[in-house]
Amino acid sequence: MILKGYFTEHRRLWLGLCSVFFLVAAWELVLTYIFPVNPFFFTKPSLIAAAFKEQIQGAKLWHDLAVSSQAFIWGFSFAVIVGIPVGLVMGWRRRVEYSLDPFLTALYASPLVALAPLFIIVFGVGVLGKAALVFLLAVFPFVFNAFAGVKSTDSLLINVIRSYGGTEKDLYLKVILPSTMPYIIAGARLAIGRGLVGIIVGEFYAASEGIGFAITQAGDTYRLPDMFVGIIILSLIAVVLTELMRKLELLVAPWRATDEVRS
Amino acid sequence: MVSFIQARNVTLSFKPKNREPVTALNNFNLDVARGEFVSIVGPSGCGKSTFLNILLGLIEPDNGQMQLNGTRITGPSQERAMVFQEFGLLPWRTVTANVELGLELKGVPAEQRLARANELIKLVGLSGFERHYPHELSGGMKQRVGLARALATEPEVLLMDEPFAALDAQTRDLMQAELLQIWERTQKTVLFVTHSIEEAAYLSDRVVVMTARPGRTKDILKIHLPRPRDYEMRLTPEFNEIKLRIWEVLREELTSRG
Repeated sequence: MILKGYFTEHRRLWLGLCSVFFLVAAWELVLTYIFPVNPFFFTKPSLIAAAFKEQIQGAKLWHDLAVSSQAFIWGFSFAVIVGIPVGLVMGWRRRVEYSLDPFLTALYASPLVALAPLFIIVFGVGVLGKAALVFLLAVFPFVFNAFAGVKSTDSLLINVIRSYGGTEKDLYLKVILPSTMPYIIAGARLAIGRGLVGIIVGEFYAASEGIGFAITQAGDTYRLPDMFVGIIILSLIAVVLTELMRKLELLVAPWRATDEVRS
Repeated sequence: MVSFIQARNVTLSFKPKNREPVTALNNFNLDVARGEFVSIVGPSGCGKSTFLNILLGLIEPDNGQMQLNGTRITGPSQERAMVFQEFGLLPWRTVTANVELGLELKGVPAEQRLARANELIKLVGLSGFERHYPHELSGGMKQRVGLARALATEPEVLLMDEPFAALDAQTRDLMQAELLQIWERTQKTVLFVTHSIEEAAYLSDRVVVMTARPGRTKDILKIHLPRPRDYEMRLTPEFNEIKLRIWEVLREELTSRG
């Protein structure tokens, strides 16, 4: 009974782990017994695991990760620094909203990775070019979510601050920003995914190091297990970062935590 | 009567886009003495809340003027504080931090703010809840925070815009009694907007009945019940008579609108 209670309580985790396990097992079994795999064209979990083990013991993977992270962190940080204030001011000041709206709508809707070649030409193949690409992709979720957050700010709270003689700065710092925080963090979740795309596209296109480069290089030389190692590491990073954001969201906005109702 | 608050011919229209302007207040006049408890009742949309917002300094009237202690009101000031119907608490702040808000905006040093906040939290009976967040409190408790926040800046005038309308009936009775106690202790001038005739009669020195839109003063009734007032008074024939008088004045305005 105690065990059953434990499984019911953590069923999200257990059901998730089970389905991952079954998928991996099925993949391995099918390619081992039903269609024996030609390692030149495809690969299977046991080979990927071996490559994984080898790579995490070597230095190249860590170097590639360091290179890619650096560009990601720079680009993402600037997206935060620029995106949030622009979104806040756009939400609060109608004239700014109307002025910036056409650019933002067009840029948000377009497949911005198409600009990758241009960015690489302008900013070079190093950290700067990739960081610029990450920035371009990651900045819009911050702008749009901060904007939406401001629009949903309770006007009563604005009046409260005003009634105590609060200034414009007080409105931003004491009401608009905190009430927009949950939206911004939801935006950060989107921005992480888009930023990772920026890194990988940048490195696919032109690079001599980095995790995206490692993936293309492995692909070009038909080292499929190594390619999968890169892909899996990327997904792990994406999952960890997104989950962190979810936790952060609960932390900054505990009043929004609602109980899920479904069976 | 020496008037502490003076409203002279206050007129205000709202001009919604693409629609006819709506006159909310038309030559509204009112005099309130220092320390008085005055309630305002009237049909929905008669401009009661608008009047409080002008008095608070959030809205400028088109015409006429409002004075407090001989000085024209042109914007918000520490002399006036509002208790809002929907509480208006900042959800990301604890009870203490919410109570401190007005003092913080005034630039009071942190230590003094905390001391003052604790004093008021005690006054409104919320000791032990200092570190709670608004979403962890009941409606009545939220409004106690709202009241403490308004009193924290030591305003001379307390404006209350249907402060108990969002509460259940029993909590409401309780809050009315406590408000009276606090009022008697702090000697504030109170302007209290309500829909409830009973509430107005029980709390007030005078009850202002407003006309339907555009709002003007229709009648002002003095409530001659002794103070301090208690719950039993509400069960007396005199009290019912007062309620009936207010109702008779108000009814004409309600029926004239159909």
